[in-house]
Amino acid sequence: MTASALDIRHLSVDLGSGKERRTVVDSVSFELRRGEVLALVGESGCGKSKTAEAIMGLLPPGRSRVRAERIRLGEHELKDLPSRAMRKFRGRDISMVFQEPRAALDPVFRVGQQVSSVFRRHRGHSGSKARTASAEMLLRVGFAEPGRVMRAYPHELSGGMCQRIGIAMAMACRPQVLIADEPTSALDVTTQAQVLAQLIRSCRQEETAVLLITHDLGVVAQYSQRALVMRQGKLVEEASVADLFTRPHNEYTRSLLTMAQAGMA
Amino acid sequence: MREVMRPLARKLFQALLLVVGVTLISFLLMVWFGPDQTYTLIGKNATTEQIAEVRHQLGYDDPFLLRYGEYLLELVTLDLGVSNASGESVRTLLARTVPISLVLMIPGFVLGNGVGIALGLASAHRRGRRSDRLITALSVTGMSISFLVVLIAFQVLFSTPYGLDLFPVRGWRVSGWTSYLHYVTVPTLALLFVTFGYNTRFYRALFIEEIGRDHIRAARALGASESVILWKHVLKNSMVPIITRIMFSIPLVVISGSLLIESYFGIPGIGQATFEAITSGDQPVLKAVVGLTAVAFVAIQFLTELLCRRLDPRLG
Repeated sequence: MTASALDIRHLSVDLGSGKERRTVVDSVSFELRRGEVLALVGESGCGKSKTAEAIMGLLPPGRSRVRAERIRLGEHELKDLPSRAMRKFRGRDISMVFQEPRAALDPVFRVGQQVSSVFRRHRGHSGSKARTASAEMLLRVGFAEPGRVMRAYPHELSGGMCQRIGIAMAMACRPQVLIADEPTSALDVTTQAQVLAQLIRSCRQEETAVLLITHDLGVVAQYSQRALVMRQGKLVEEASVADLFTRPHNEYTRSLLTMAQAGMA
Repeated sequence: MREVMRPLARKLFQALLLVVGVTLISFLLMVWFGPDQTYTLIGKNATTEQIAEVRHQLGYDDPFLLRYGEYLLELVTLDLGVSNASGESVRTLLARTVPISLVLMIPGFVLGNGVGIALGLASAHRRGRRSDRLITALSVTGMSISFLVVLIAFQVLFSTPYGLDLFPVRGWRVSGWTSYLHYVTVPTLALLFVTFGYNTRFYRALFIEEIGRDHIRAARALGASESVILWKHVLKNSMVPIITRIMFSIPLVVISGSLLIESYFGIPGIGQATFEAITSGDQPVLKAVVGLTAVAFVAIQFLTELLCRRLDPRLG
């Protein structure tokens, strides 16, 4: 068993085609260790989300190009995997939580159907067994009455509730890796802390490693062990959280920190 | 139950108001300010008394509300008078022609939308790839060729010795399934050719919008297969615009679509009957067609509303 949950070497992403092609992720390399919380920090548009989508294989093949020397998930090489094979890993071994919790749920299906579908797909559960497993999973992310939530449609629930459901769905199969892309940026300040704490707690229980994408340095300091700083598609700094805040090497990291202290970022 | 009934009752009331509105307009245009038959009946050199008598017989001197009420009663009871041109009662004329138009248009309409949805889905799914560009090129070609050319080309291709010579050029002597297929095939293919481009472009744009939504990406991130994504998530989320488009094109297709097809293929449907009524000024027939189309539109709007509420929980 290798020590890293996710091992990325020289990952690049180009968007567009022909003359309009531009590189949004430029030769990014990093390692996510088992069970750790690794923060990926940077301003919006720096390529954080594209890095995540490239790892998940979610970028549209016709209008984007992903190159990498290595994208290893545990013992599995994901690079150049055909989409059918890649699909088996998604939601089971590597999963994702999104920025807009309500938009990430399908508006025309009940919550119960959506959570159950993950169990049916990856665990091969029948209808009733999938429903029981879903109820249990929802209970674990803090819903006292899972039955009621499962009968609801997403528009009837709050953003915080929707994100808990998103966490439940992403964690349903106890993945090795969870990519959380700004999971609380769209929530109220009061629910942000609760939802994020729930996410980290769930991941600790299942020993899931987290790649936490955020622009909030407070979140970085509170939850992660190490951090990567990204700027204009490139990684500019990799450090333990203690070092990042006390001895930042890179000029850009220093300016991020000063702005955070001044309350501007 | 009350929560369900109350919006329903309100919709029904709105639909009723709309019926009053559209029938009032068609009454004003077709009857109140419509053609005056006095002089056609008695000639030019009539006395004032004769004119007054004929106008009285025709009901022209009745008050506005009474005449509007009579018009509404005619529509409701389908007692629509007698065609000026043929002397046939308008009700039997409709009973004779409307079913022909329906069975003539339904296959092309269903196929046109079915093909449009399938190609639109394929095109949206493979957006930017070669198959998408091919489908788009075909759609634009289909949209660019005038329907007049299409109709004539298809007649030449399928119904003359210059082409396959398999189907009749014109007419409608249908007595069973074989003869039905014999007469309906060429109009259906022509209709399909004329409409598939528009349908495909519309559905492609709709599906591309739905595919771009966050929850589609989230479903993919949780391992949903492409077929589940397209047939379950994208299609169900697109149902409201699909149903709306299909429902609202029904009256247009039946009246104006069949008007073209029927006059080209010599098929005695409601389109041809309307066309003849327009050219000969057969007012009772026109009055019935305009009034009933308006009422059909309102009924369809009401039905669409009900269907969409069932399909999208956010509306209900």
